[in-house]
Amino acid sequence: MDMILDILTIPLVQAVIKILVFVLGFVMAVGTVLTLMERKWMSAVQDRIGPNRANIGKFTGHGALHIAADGVKSLLKEDTVPAGADRFLYLIAPLFSYFPAILVWAVIPFAGPIGSVTFQITDINTGLVFIFAVTSLGVYGAVLGGYASNNKYALLGAIRTSSQMLSYEVFLGLSLIGIFMVYGTVQVSKIVELQNTYWFDGLIPKWGIFTQPLAFFLFFTGMLAEAKRQPFDQPEGESEIIAGYYLEYSGARFSAYMLAEYVSIVAVSAITVTLFFGGYQIPWLFPDGFHLLGYSLALPPVVVALLQAGSFITKTLIFCWLIIIIRWTLPRFRFDQTMDLGWKKMLPLSMANLVVTALVLLLTA
Amino acid sequence: MKRSNLPLEFGAEPMDIEIGPSHPAMHGITRLSTRLDGEVVTAVEVEIGYLHRGFEKECENSTYVQVIPYTDRLNYVSPILNNIGYSLAVEKLFGLDVPKRAQYARVILGELSRISDHLTCNGAMGMEVGAMTVFLWYVKAREYLWELTEEVTGARLTHNWTRFGGNANDLPDTFFDMLEERLKKVEAVLEEGVKMLFKNKIFLDRVKDVGVLSRERAIEYGFTGPMLRATGEPYDLRRAEPYLVYNELDFEIPVGTVGDSYDRFLVRHEEMLQSISIIRQAVAKIPKGGHYQHDRRAWLPDKTEVYGSIEGLIDHFKVIMEGSTPPKGEVYQAIEGGNGELGFYLVSDGTGKPYKCRVRPPCFNFVSALPEMLIGHYVGDIVPIYGSINMIGGELER
Amino acid sequence: MQTAKKPSVKTVQRQGGFLIDLYLPAIIGGLRITLRHFFRNVITQSDVVTISYPEQKRRISPRWRGRHRLTVREDGFIKCVACYMCETVCPAKCIHIEAGEMPDKSVEKYPVVFDIDELRCVFCGLCVEACPKDAIRMDTGIYSMASTERVTFDYTRNMLMDAHAKTDKTKFPSTPLPLTQEEALPQSTAKLAG
Ligand code: SF4
Ligand code: SF4
Repeated sequence: MDMILDILTIPLVQAVIKILVFVLGFVMAVGTVLTLMERKWMSAVQDRIGPNRANIGKFTGHGALHIAADGVKSLLKEDTVPAGADRFLYLIAPLFSYFPAILVWAVIPFAGPIGSVTFQITDINTGLVFIFAVTSLGVYGAVLGGYASNNKYALLGAIRTSSQMLSYEVFLGLSLIGIFMVYGTVQVSKIVELQNTYWFDGLIPKWGIFTQPLAFFLFFTGMLAEAKRQPFDQPEGESEIIAGYYLEYSGARFSAYMLAEYVSIVAVSAITVTLFFGGYQIPWLFPDGFHLLGYSLALPPVVVALLQAGSFITKTLIFCWLIIIIRWTLPRFRFDQTMDLGWKKMLPLSMANLVVTALVLLLTA
Repeated sequence: MKRSNLPLEFGAEPMDIEIGPSHPAMHGITRLSTRLDGEVVTAVEVEIGYLHRGFEKECENSTYVQVIPYTDRLNYVSPILNNIGYSLAVEKLFGLDVPKRAQYARVILGELSRISDHLTCNGAMGMEVGAMTVFLWYVKAREYLWELTEEVTGARLTHNWTRFGGNANDLPDTFFDMLEERLKKVEAVLEEGVKMLFKNKIFLDRVKDVGVLSRERAIEYGFTGPMLRATGEPYDLRRAEPYLVYNELDFEIPVGTVGDSYDRFLVRHEEMLQSISIIRQAVAKIPKGGHYQHDRRAWLPDKTEVYGSIEGLIDHFKVIMEGSTPPKGEVYQAIEGGNGELGFYLVSDGTGKPYKCRVRPPCFNFVSALPEMLIGHYVGDIVPIYGSINMIGGELER
Repeated sequence: MQTAKKPSVKTVQRQGGFLIDLYLPAIIGGLRITLRHFFRNVITQSDVVTISYPEQKRRISPRWRGRHRLTVREDGFIKCVACYMCETVCPAKCIHIEAGEMPDKSVEKYPVVFDIDELRCVFCGLCVEACPKDAIRMDTGIYSMASTERVTFDYTRNMLMDAHAKTDKTKFPSTPLPLTQEEALPQSTAKLAG
């Protein structure tokens, strides 16, 4: 028993356990389930029932078995490589779009620390910068895949992806500088902790959405574009360039691209929640329990951590859901309109946001 | 490929790309050989013919009535309009009069198909720019209407409903019972479509000033229907060359101002609302009476006569063995189809089979104007413009 | 020729303006509608229009043109007199009839072979209209005849009469001609090949 506890205190062992639990247990699971839920939710929006036919005997689980059926099917399908493709790049490209979406999770805290145990894989002090660095790597998956496919549609998709992601990163970064300024740190765990401070005698939490409302809209829009979700999905624009950069893929590699898309939805939601919606924080819940207007309710730290993890997961799922519903509500931009929106509207707005934030900070300091 | 022919920015190399026929938005029946400069279309060549089925030649080997099921397959989103157009042409050849009730019934069902045609087109336009949900709602609404026509004709799509001198059967009471409820539902769906798209800047940006064709050019190309009206020309065959009972019904002809995809969308939307009002008027005005007037040259006598009298039986046998035998001559009869002027030109040599049956499909002209509408636009615009002309392969290539 | 009436023209209203340029109002408006559909369908499924096909069937119109059937007289013999009207009028040329003679004076002529190739049939209903004896009808309400073999779509006379034949087999003892599918089939395939 003691030995097990000893082993558990080794940081590396802790990290490995966290990776397994968070990434496999949460991110991958949610990403996989989302592939089905997107179809279910969209059919609810469109007055349909949605997939419900995969079955084992009489059991269908309202369509839950489609997850398994899709997985098996995609694994059994032939993994084609088009003639004239750059074979090596073509084969590894799907991984490039897959890993960045997972790497992001290294710095996302799931709950507040209990003593020395943190619920964050690693708490590097440049967390936000890391998030940026990693998400911008996602562009390689699309570009390499599109370039290596030796297909003109795929190439168009790859070009669209690269220019869209590069342009949107600019104001994505700028919109977050406001957050750095308000909280005075780029360490993710600190930002989340600081969102548990309050205005008006502990009444209104200083969540990012309240301190930087405009930045939230800019950031969320930019993140949708980074994840290539509608209304910014012209890299995949299925009615014009069919599926864009992953047009030629089939079988397991195709599902890797699909899964990457859903994992990045989860990642986008998690980042948004962490930066703007208090991360794992529940309003008025402190490490020792609830405090509001002089009333208080003491709770043991384990319960608090559980509540916090629950709150983080719930918030993330709500955002995943929102992103999917948005997709089935809005048409998509044309490619040049995406660029216009990014450079001519979002960029000036994020600059203005910075100036206003700076002025407010200066005047209230 | 000669590079010097093209304006090059930053030395970009033009890219030739084949869009279709196996491209999801091309219905499998059109090929656009496109040359792109970056994302901008610099040259387009349209190739059609993938759905050519020899309709006109086949008509020459069929009796007049056997052509009616073929016409179902012309514009397959508004089949009854084709039935009506063809039957009117044959009736003109015979000089037949159709009973008033049958004419009203044709108007009612024809307008239902016009709505289903426009629902498909506007929904598809939404889908081409990514609004899949609106498309599916519109398809749902179309299904309501198809169930209505099924109630009358016995089939959802391949109606084969009109005959020479009337219709195959009368509008049943159940049809009138269902009609108002269905129209209300369709109006509700249209209302949702308005809320989803009409004020949405993303959608407006995609269709505004895209695929513009001026009124003059549209007339030169021989445009008709919503495409022409979108350019501002109020030309509608229901008013310009009235047929059936349209003169007894009130409706407005919606026209656009610019002639872009957006105007086409709006014109089609308004036409659906007008059609709904036409249907309501026609239902209020429809007289009692027969749905079919027998002429022994044209088509079968009533079944009671066939069963009950030897003359009836002889007429019956004769018209089937010989086919309907119109007098020698030729006619052209056009109606306002879902897409515009749907004309039938028939030549009769006095036998039971048409000597020539030629269809004037409205969308052939649209497709020939496609290059002019596409050049200078982005790749992303190709499909929405293509969607806005509502090309129906069945009637384009026959 | 009717005289043309003066059309009343309505110019469609193009949307635009500052509120629309803001994007957000329309996006929120759109989300409101989609969310309404979403919640209604998730909670009560009240808007769902899909039917779960094989288990649930759509109501079809009483006039629905489905698979053909051959009607029978009161004494159980086939009504058809092999007059070839339906075969002549069929635009798809999918009916094949061979007439035979009966010593029975109340019948005289009847179809020895009456095949319909339902794969070629376009379900236009002209055969029903053309029959002077009310011998062929399309009111079975059968619209799904899916099969993986072509040969199953060759409906022979007895298959087309099956509704009757099932109950009253004893009424056909005197019929001297093929009654099973296997016996009748060679003729229909020969026709197809020819
Ligand atoms: S329904 Fe039409 S195609 Fe089918 S058998 Fe009868 S006449 Fe021929
Ligand atoms: S028309 Fe009627 S009676 Fe004549 S062959 Fe056909 S089914 Fe028999």
